[in-house]
Amino acid sequence: MEEVIKVEHLTKDYGGGRGIFDLNFFVAKGETFGFVGTNGSGKTTTIRNIMGFIKPKSGKVTVLGMDAWKDACKIKENVAYIPGEIAFPDLTTGIEFFKAQAELLGLKSMERADELIKRLQLDPSANLKRMSKGMKQKTAIVAALMADKDILILDEPTTGLDPLMRETFLELILEEKKRGKTILMSSQMFDELETTCDRVALIYNGRIIDIADVNAIKNSTTKAYKIEFTNKEDYQKFKKLKYNIIRDQEKYFQVTVQIDDSEINKLFKSLSKYNLKFVSEVKNNLEKHFTNILEKEIKGGKNVF
Amino acid sequence: MNIIEVDNLTQDYGHGRGVFDVSFAVREGEVFGFLGPNGAGKSTTIRHIMGFSRPQKGETRVFNLESFHNYYKILSNVGYLPGEIALPEGLTGWEFIKMMGDLRKTKDKERLIYLLKKFDLNPAVSTKSMSLGEKRKLAIVTAFMDDPEVLVLDEPTSGLDPVMQQVFIDFIKEEKKRGKTILLSSHMFNEVEATCDRIAIIKDGRIVTIFNAKFIKHNENKVYDIRFDKLEDLENFVKTFPRAKFKEDLVVKLGVKDVFKDKLSVHVAVNDKQVNDFINLIIGYKIKSFTELKLTLEDYFMTFYREDKDFGGMLKWKK
Repeated sequence: MEEVIKVEHLTKDYGGGRGIFDLNFFVAKGETFGFVGTNGSGKTTTIRNIMGFIKPKSGKVTVLGMDAWKDACKIKENVAYIPGEIAFPDLTTGIEFFKAQAELLGLKSMERADELIKRLQLDPSANLKRMSKGMKQKTAIVAALMADKDILILDEPTTGLDPLMRETFLELILEEKKRGKTILMSSQMFDELETTCDRVALIYNGRIIDIADVNAIKNSTTKAYKIEFTNKEDYQKFKKLKYNIIRDQEKYFQVTVQIDDSEINKLFKSLSKYNLKFVSEVKNNLEKHFTNILEKEIKGGKNVF
Repeated sequence: MNIIEVDNLTQDYGHGRGVFDVSFAVREGEVFGFLGPNGAGKSTTIRHIMGFSRPQKGETRVFNLESFHNYYKILSNVGYLPGEIALPEGLTGWEFIKMMGDLRKTKDKERLIYLLKKFDLNPAVSTKSMSLGEKRKLAIVTAFMDDPEVLVLDEPTSGLDPVMQQVFIDFIKEEKKRGKTILLSSHMFNEVEATCDRIAIIKDGRIVTIFNAKFIKHNENKVYDIRFDKLEDLENFVKTFPRAKFKEDLVVKLGVKDVFKDKLSVHVAVNDKQVNDFINLIIGYKIKSFTELKLTLEDYFMTFYREDKDFGGMLKWKK
C-alpha cells in the first residue's frame, strides 16, 4: 500500500492552546480520507501544512515521498487544492480566472473545465467580485478539478452550496474516487463524509481523537432497535428477558435494545408474545460514533457539533 | 388562526424567474419552514409578505392586513431578518442596535443583553469590520430584541458556524415554546427538521408540497430491509410472504415491496398498526439481518427535484 500523504508527529503551536499537536495519519493511494471537527479545531492548519504553505514546528509531512515544505512546488504539480477561504486574484471574470489558471497549470485543453462548468451550472462570464458565496465556491471547484490531478485536497469544499449543488459535487467526488484519485477532504457535515470517505479522522482541540473506518460502521452486525409496547405489563415482561437494553423510557413503555444480527430471529420470537406499537431501527452512523467518543473524551460534555 | 397568509401570489420576473400562484398560511404559534435551493423564490415570497414589493397577482396578509399598503404597521410588529444584510455605513454594532431600537421603540434592555450573550456577539466594533457571521448575529439580535410575537427569518443561519447554528436551533425551539409564530426560510435540512411544524418545498417559483414535519420524523409507514443467508431462503420468502399494497404513501396491506436477488434482500412495507401481524409472520422465516430504510427530509426534498429522473408515486427510501 502506497502512502501518498503521510503526516508524522506534526505540531504547529500557535500558543494559548491553539494549533495542532502531534498529529499522525496517512492517506493511501486511491483512498478518500475525511477530516471533521468544529471551527478552530485545526483542520485548515493541517491542510496548509500538507500544502507546504506553512512550516511545521516539529514533525514531518510528506506527499508522494517528498517533503511538503521543501518540495512544495514539485508536489503541486500533482495536487489540486480548494482552499477553505477563497480569495481570487484581481481579474474581471470567471473565464479570465480559468484562463490564467490553465496557463499556470500548463493546461492545453479546456474540455474538462467546460464539462465541470456545465455540471455545476456556473456562469463563468460573471464578475468575480460580484459572485455570491455559492458561485465563488463553484468557481474554485472548477479551477481545482480542471487539471485532472491525481491528488485532491479539499478544505470544506461544500460550504455555500445549496442542496442540489452539494449533491452534484458529491457525485463528482465519487466519480473522481472511482477514477483512482487520492482525496483528502475536510467538512463539518458528517453525512457527506459518510457518503464519500473510506476513513474519517475526528480532530478536536488540535488533536486527532479517532480515525473511523466508515465501512465498518456502515456494515456493522451490531444493531439497535427502539421498541414501544402498547401496555406496561408487556413492557415489564420484555425487560425481564436478558436483552441488552441501552435505553429505557418507562413513560412511553419504550426500550432500545442492542443485538448482534445473529440474534434477530430470537428477538422476533420474543416480541411475538407481546403487543407492540412499533419497531424502529436506531442507526449507528459516523455522527453517533464520534459523539460517543467525544462524550468519553470530554467529561460531562454534550454534543459539541 | 392564520397569522401570515399568502394567496395565489404571482410575481413574474421573466425568463421563468419569480413566483407563480404561491399559496400557504402560517398559523398562530407555528414554526413554518420554507425550503428550497437558491433562486427558487423564497426571498421573493418573503419580501412580498413584508410588503416591500407589490404583487402582480394575488395577495399577502399579516395579521389580516394586506402587506403592501400596510408595510409600516407590519414592520413594526414583525421581527424580520433579511436574507442579504446591508448595514448602514459608519456605525458600530451598538449604534445600529440603538437605531433599530428607536425605530421599534424597544424598552427591554435585559432582553438585548440576554441575546448578545446567547449569540456571543460583541457590538462594540464597527459594522464594517464585522465578518459575515457577526453581521448575521447582529441581524438576529435586532430581529428578536423587542420580543415580537411574529418573526420572518430569511436564511437566518447562513454564514454561522455549526456551533452557532446549533445555538440558533435551540433558541428557535425556546421561542416556539413561548408561543411565537415563525416563518423560516432555509436550505439547511437539519435546522428545518429540528424546528419546524410544517414545511413547504418551493421549486422554480412554485410550491410543490406542504407537509407536516411528523411525516418525516415519526412516519408510521415503515420500510424494512430483510436479508437472507441463502438464495433458497429468499425465494421461499418471496413465494410465501404477502405483497404490500399502498394507497398513495400509506401502507394499507403489509408485505413485500421490492426484491433484490443479487443482495439476497427484500424490502417489506409495514404500517405501525400492522406491526404485530408482521412479527407473527416473520417468525416463520430464518433471516440474516433486519434494518430500516429511513426517510430523511433531504431524501424527500430530492424526490421533487429529481422528478425528471425517477419521480414516482411511492417515496424513495434511503438506507
